[in-house]
Amino acid sequence: MTEIIKENSPSWQSGIAKSITFIVTKDCQLACKYCYLVGKNISERMSFETAKKAIDYILGHEDMFREESVIFDFIGGEPFLEIDLIDQICDYLKTEMYRLNHHWFNSYRFSFSTNGINYHEKKVQDFIKKNASHVSIGITIDGTEKKHDMNRVYKLTERGSYKDVVRNIPLWLEQFPNASTKVTVSSPDLPYIVESVLHLYSLGIHEVNINVVFEDVWQEGDDAVFEQQLIKLADIIIDQGYYKDYACSFFSENIGKPMDRERDNNNWCGAGKMLSVDAAGNFYPCTRFAQYSLRDKKALIIGNVETGINENILRPFLTLDRCTQSPEECLDCEVASGCAWCQGENYDAAQTNTIYQRAAAICKMHKARVRANNYYWNKLYRKLELEGKREEFEKNKRQNIESIC
Amino acid sequence: MLQYLVILLDDSSTSFCHYDSKDEHNLISIEDLKEAIFFGMKENLMIQFVYPDYPLPQVYLDTIESIDHSKIMSSKNENSSDADVVIIHSLGEFSKAELQEGKVYTLQITIADFNQIMSVIKSKKANYQRLNIVLKDVDKCTENDLVQYKNILQQLAIWYKEQLYSNNILQINLLSDRIMLDKMNNCEAGNETITLAPNGKFYVCPAFYYDNPEDSVGDLKRGLDIRNPQLYKIGYAPICRICDAYQCKRCIWLNKKTTLEVNTPSHEQCVAAHLERNASRNLLGELQNLGVFEDKSIPELDYLDPFDKANNWK
Repeated sequence: MTEIIKENSPSWQSGIAKSITFIVTKDCQLACKYCYLVGKNISERMSFETAKKAIDYILGHEDMFREESVIFDFIGGEPFLEIDLIDQICDYLKTEMYRLNHHWFNSYRFSFSTNGINYHEKKVQDFIKKNASHVSIGITIDGTEKKHDMNRVYKLTERGSYKDVVRNIPLWLEQFPNASTKVTVSSPDLPYIVESVLHLYSLGIHEVNINVVFEDVWQEGDDAVFEQQLIKLADIIIDQGYYKDYACSFFSENIGKPMDRERDNNNWCGAGKMLSVDAAGNFYPCTRFAQYSLRDKKALIIGNVETGINENILRPFLTLDRCTQSPEECLDCEVASGCAWCQGENYDAAQTNTIYQRAAAICKMHKARVRANNYYWNKLYRKLELEGKREEFEKNKRQNIESIC
Repeated sequence: MLQYLVILLDDSSTSFCHYDSKDEHNLISIEDLKEAIFFGMKENLMIQFVYPDYPLPQVYLDTIESIDHSKIMSSKNENSSDADVVIIHSLGEFSKAELQEGKVYTLQITIADFNQIMSVIKSKKANYQRLNIVLKDVDKCTENDLVQYKNILQQLAIWYKEQLYSNNILQINLLSDRIMLDKMNNCEAGNETITLAPNGKFYVCPAFYYDNPEDSVGDLKRGLDIRNPQLYKIGYAPICRICDAYQCKRCIWLNKKTTLEVNTPSHEQCVAAHLERNASRNLLGELQNLGVFEDKSIPELDYLDPFDKANNWK
């Protein structure tokens, strides 16, 4: 298929894979200023014994985990700080899936979100080679050195980490040519969006998954700055033809439409369908419900490796829908589609201990994004039309794939 | 919309539902009692007083009588003949109780004791108007317990049918309510009913007070302050709003205790309610053969937990 416009790729086995996250450590070399993990520490490291118990429980309850595929996600902190443990866990997973003739044996992946600092180290590289066809790795780099080092700083020295990350990008792209990076934008970062995205393109990263934080950090006038940046970015992407080979997730044809209360009532977030386990052996509906992710609320634990999962506590997650948790202004919103939420942030910000109160801190930012997004598509379609390529694009364009967290 | 105000006169006021109250006495102050009655009058609420077992001072009795109200008392209270609802706390107590004609009783019972209920209920003269049976530990029921619950409900239905055949028109909540109801009729704590505790603070229901006194939703000075009030309404309860076990207590406190959300019932609460519903359905079929309740209908279901109804929830 001829691809006239490069679009962000769906994740591996999107929608049919169970995501199981091992929080292997709560330690990290960095202390990123926007990091939602407010309780990072050096003491909570997972033991192999705990990981083994979690694996034995999960693989031993195949009836509870019926998804076709599985993504074993390793996060921290910084997961590669525990590469020896991860290697041991992955070996055990593979052995046990084979021994049990588990339906995931032929459809699994090990996934990592890393700060990229020790990506080049031998142990990490050995692991990648050993598990080559089953590994996906995302390195987080926020853009230009200035933008990156504003937030992503070492915890003790507050020195920026850009140089230590960018040196590993060529190796990463060589091993994962279709890799994408994840960029998080908070209030102080807004003026740097354009230069950051273009910088990432210049590093050879063709897919930039970028989003504004869900937390209530936004200042008066931020939406105007955001809109200006996105319109400027739209002009450059279109005028300089980046849209053919590069994608930026801020621009999507499917956002900014009204949503029907009955037809479009699915929950956005996958919390509860995912599973996380931490060093203490506690299970969570998503990492965002572990104590180190929460500012104001107590951890929401759904079980542990000894007693298993309490299915009653999962029921609210699995029955949650868009309308039941959203305020009327969101339900009546004429540009509602694509306005995301994080269930963990909803829980943390709610007035009561509930996951049924949607936080709407990104409202103005979403509306600004929609305005710039409308501009982008109007401008791009006109250009394609004038070039006689619009029909070809319409014929070949990818169906909407809604990305669920 | 709020309709009822439950006033706990003392910390040792009788428990009338799934929770346990306290043994220690702690009487509401007379000032708070008067203020609570004043609040109820202004908000147009029907007041239900929940009594301790010991005699109240005369000034309290006089104050209570200053407003139209209902009385909830334990069977151990020497004035229980004055109560609108009498609470019996165990099957053993029920077996010894002298039941008064035309009275409404609530029997708190464990699942273990429910297995023995038939011999006791058959030994008593069924002269009461209504018997509410509260399965106190429904949240702890195992699958085997629930199978047994179903069997005993069938036996209870046979006994109840015989009562009706002999023209003894009493009500047993587990069996008669679903036949009579055309829509949900649940506890409605936090939505239609609010509770005032002896400390002068409001709670969603008495259970929330006894569980954690810090979990208040306002007080007599500031008024009510129920956060996320919509979550107490059936329209915001994804499982319950598609359910037709209309007689279910839909206990908000048990919801919170078992699923951590006030709007989501546990599997055990749903299954128990559906076993009652299905027992009512079987009973209705037999009654309709006699030409009564012909306008009523309870459809057959292929599930016991509405959570299983929607596959996309799993």
